[in-house]
Amino acid sequence: MNFADQLERIVRSRIEKDSLTLPTLPAVAIKAIELTRTGDFNMQAAASLIEKDPVLAVQVLRSCKSAAVATREPCNTISQAISRLGAKNLRGVLLEIASRRSLESRDPKVAAAVKTLWEHSRAVAQLAQRVAVVSGASDPDTAYLAGLLHDLGKPVVATILLEAESQIAQRNPKLWIDFSTWIDVVQRCHRPIGVELARKWQLPDEIQKAIEECGDYDPANRLSTGNAVRFANAVAKQQGIYVGPVSAEDNDALIMVGRSLLGIDDETLTRLSSDLKEKSREAA
Amino acid sequence: MPRILTVDDSRAIRMIVAKQLQPLGFEIGEAEDGIDGLGKLQSAAYDLVVLDVTMPNLDGPGMLAKMRESGSKTPVLMLTSESKTAIVATLMRLGISDFVLKPFKGDELKTKVLKALKLPADYAPAGAPAPVAPAAASPGERALVIDDMENVHKKVRSMMPASVTLDASLNAAEALGLCRGNQYALILIDGDLPDANLASLTRQLRLLQPKAVLVATALRTANNAAGEMRAQGLDDILFKPFSGPAVESLIGKCFQGTQELVSAEETFVRLAGFCGRDDKLDGYFQRLSAQTKEAIGKLAEGCFDSAVLDATQLPLVQPIRAAQFMAEVCKASADCGVSLRVVGSAELAAVIAGFQDAKSLRLFHSVEEARAAA
Repeated sequence: MNFADQLERIVRSRIEKDSLTLPTLPAVAIKAIELTRTGDFNMQAAASLIEKDPVLAVQVLRSCKSAAVATREPCNTISQAISRLGAKNLRGVLLEIASRRSLESRDPKVAAAVKTLWEHSRAVAQLAQRVAVVSGASDPDTAYLAGLLHDLGKPVVATILLEAESQIAQRNPKLWIDFSTWIDVVQRCHRPIGVELARKWQLPDEIQKAIEECGDYDPANRLSTGNAVRFANAVAKQQGIYVGPVSAEDNDALIMVGRSLLGIDDETLTRLSSDLKEKSREAA
Repeated sequence: MPRILTVDDSRAIRMIVAKQLQPLGFEIGEAEDGIDGLGKLQSAAYDLVVLDVTMPNLDGPGMLAKMRESGSKTPVLMLTSESKTAIVATLMRLGISDFVLKPFKGDELKTKVLKALKLPADYAPAGAPAPVAPAAASPGERALVIDDMENVHKKVRSMMPASVTLDASLNAAEALGLCRGNQYALILIDGDLPDANLASLTRQLRLLQPKAVLVATALRTANNAAGEMRAQGLDDILFKPFSGPAVESLIGKCFQGTQELVSAEETFVRLAGFCGRDDKLDGYFQRLSAQTKEAIGKLAEGCFDSAVLDATQLPLVQPIRAAQFMAEVCKASADCGVSLRVVGSAELAAVIAGFQDAKSLRLFHSVEEARAAA
């Protein structure tokens, strides 16, 4: 069994046993600590942090499922999740996250790739939201969240790999995988892990679909959240906000079909996506 | 005249395509499958092929492949219900201009056909009347008021010039729907709209209406309303109840560019006043001059040799500019052989008196006086 398969098996097992704990990134941990320190807990700032981090967002969504705050209505957006948790519970979530180990790779290529994974999620979230507004497709905030979490498996796998690297590389850096293997493992594992996590943590239907279905559009539901996310994903890739191999031809085809499917002309697409790189790099 | 070949096994689709494109003056040929299409291309030259994917005998990709193999560079626009990436990627490798997914809107097909033929978006066949610009083409004189109280809609309507088309919505969802189908120069948003997050709504309106001026309406008693509204991304604030000068100033900012400044009824010509910022005054006089000269020209065309010009609303805040305008009017009327009896205030009389080129204008204090002097 190769490394990718082993990793996938380990992660799935942890998910099944409900023992999956996701390490956090340093920048996120620092912000979370700052927010929880202030006397008056700032919900706006907390929301802003959560909106920019897919791992944090999914953990907030998961917290909404707890007995204390769960209701019959699903949480389809970050603002719904935050409202439902309330300041006290949200502060608790951030405290817990701030207390986890924060990890960084020693390999600059991996560090850059991890950064780009997050930027890609944010870019797709932003653009899916804008597409939803312009085309009338679904709720823009749901589209944002679906975009943020569509590649949920990638940051999950990346953070598990960072954890493994910190343990193994401490003893012997030569034992650790190289960058191209790292990318390969993330590419191969992320989809099944993301799907499994979404199912286990009972993420909203729209989010689960966005994670499961990343291939062709759904022409029967032209203005669906999933289609907005697929289109945004293709545009983000075209702009280079992506880690991993991209088939330029397939990607161009996705964009060409998406423009017609969602009713987005060239001028509108340029306007919606011109600041995508800049927005995706904005820290919380 | 561009010739377009539509290739589709559905006669209904071919008819719809023809119906959409013939009014543009295009000649439309039809083929029912790839074999028929290739035959038609051999017997006549076409500027564009509109091509389906799934067809019997020879499908779209098959026909396109054979076209390219034979060296044909004729642009091809795919019109299909096929959306699978792999198939579209193959078509793109063979060389297509664009893609329209069925079912489709006529506007999308026309826009993409014009683009493929490298024709302008407002293309019209020679000799045809200019096409009616679609409502979404330009903000022009269109405004939207978003408020859950209908009385606010009525009030805004009563304060807007008749030339401004005003749409009204009671809630955010309705407003966003309107914004997807129209272009607005001005959008008034209730700062206290129930069930709507103002910052989120403002962001969405900005995406849909990049050219519009977004103005929040709020109570005068609201604390730091102006600062808060600007922080939420709005351009300005208009306090309720609305004041005439505040609304006029807004109208001046948003609509001055397209207003009709001269109205004419037979031998009576009225000049509209100016409301707006001082830096817009020059633009106002330029448009007023052009429109007044046009009105004088029409009087001459109609063989009217005299007329009354009501200049009571002419702004005198920049007297020299006003005098220059009157001098231009004087010259235009002399050149056309139309004698003008100008109605204006004593202040206007004083301005003209000091201007040699306008001295010959006959000035009256009232319309009745001017008419009686005919």
